[in-house]
Amino acid sequence: MASQVIKVQTVCRNIIAVARNYTEHAKELGNPVPKENPLVFGKPVSSIITEGEIQIPHGWKELHHEVELGVVIGKPGKFIKPENAMDHVMGYVLVLDMTARSIQQELKKQGYPWFLAKGFDTSCPISDFIPKSAVKDVHNLNLKLTVNGITKQNGNTKDMIFKVPDLLSYISNYFKLEYGDLILTGTPSGVSGVKHGDIIEASLDDLAKIKFPVVENEK
Amino acid sequence: MSDQESKIDLQSICKNIIGIGKNYKDPLKEHVPTDEDPFIFAKPTTSLITEGSSIQIPKGWGTIIHEVELGVVIGKRAKFVSEDIAMDHVLGYVLALDMGKSLEFDKYPILLIKGFDTSCPISDFIPKSKINNVNNLNLKLSVNGNTRHDGNTQDLIHKIPKLISYLSNYFTLDYGDLILTGTPAGISTVKHGDVIEASLENLANIKFPVFEIQ
Repeated sequence: MASQVIKVQTVCRNIIAVARNYTEHAKELGNPVPKENPLVFGKPVSSIITEGEIQIPHGWKELHHEVELGVVIGKPGKFIKPENAMDHVMGYVLVLDMTARSIQQELKKQGYPWFLAKGFDTSCPISDFIPKSAVKDVHNLNLKLTVNGITKQNGNTKDMIFKVPDLLSYISNYFKLEYGDLILTGTPSGVSGVKHGDIIEASLDDLAKIKFPVVENEK
Repeated sequence: MSDQESKIDLQSICKNIIGIGKNYKDPLKEHVPTDEDPFIFAKPTTSLITEGSSIQIPKGWGTIIHEVELGVVIGKRAKFVSEDIAMDHVLGYVLALDMGKSLEFDKYPILLIKGFDTSCPISDFIPKSKINNVNNLNLKLSVNGNTRHDGNTQDLIHKIPKLISYLSNYFTLDYGDLILTGTPAGISTVKHGDVIEASLENLANIKFPVFEIQ
């Protein structure tokens, strides 16, 4: 196999994420569980970081962590059938979908989009690329996250409401998938607040490990 | 216009499209609240199309709505930029249509209703030097020859320097990024078989047929 280091942050031109894709997480925020279709939203590629600090915008004080499996597209496609969906996957990353929860609630109340609360710079920390071949069963992966050494999230991708092939198929009906696109597949329960000085560590089975300190911008 | 400027292919260089909603003064209202934060959303870059392509309504939707906008193209990376130097970060402009499923933001995810493939038709690139006053540009759109939008950028609530400065506080804006600055009044629906034409003064003219995916 050709040993090519894929830099997702360089090749990615779109990030599409799925909300409330784990039942317990939907419940913990008092949100209805999506029944018919996945609830999609976007993050800009400018939000991706691979190292350094997660930066809370000045004045926001706190963010919520959300640990997720990220799927990286290799083969482009549109109107992809679920049974062919995994052919379009070239690999994975471990991702944190950092969220300004109180900003998000405020935006919801105003009838404004979430984009600001989900898309600010450094809101998408990712691990190194994990080739597809390294993952035996994408629906049996442990997702773990600790804050200052204390476990907060500890879930498994088997609990996804919409599984990866169905997500990719649905998304590709409206948005053509291109090489390097990153799909965030949802977070298990256990989201909590982090503030200036906290340290987040997360793992995807024994496939990826990440560590990011959190700071609040002074400006 | 330099050779380099005339060859700018936004579809190739753009990695981020940020849309601004509710950004034109309501002709029926006198007081304009300018201290409210901008209404911000995003469209994926896969939504971009140029002339020669058609606007494709997703299967079963029946109708979609049109909006005509001045698009600002970023030329120089912008982060924490102040309003007074914000225009230094502008490379040029495009005329853009911000197509959407409807205005039912509470019913559907905004990425879906604003970001579906072909929902961002754009004109050729317009270099910054071609525009004398960005705050006095006519925006017009017609459907099957009937005028729907006929507005002017003088009615923008948050002006371009304010938008760039505000956005750059939260998002690093990079070369090729596109900001859609809002639409004047006149939103209506289009369906399979309709033809949309739009113009930005005499700087850009675009025409896109509408089809519903079968």
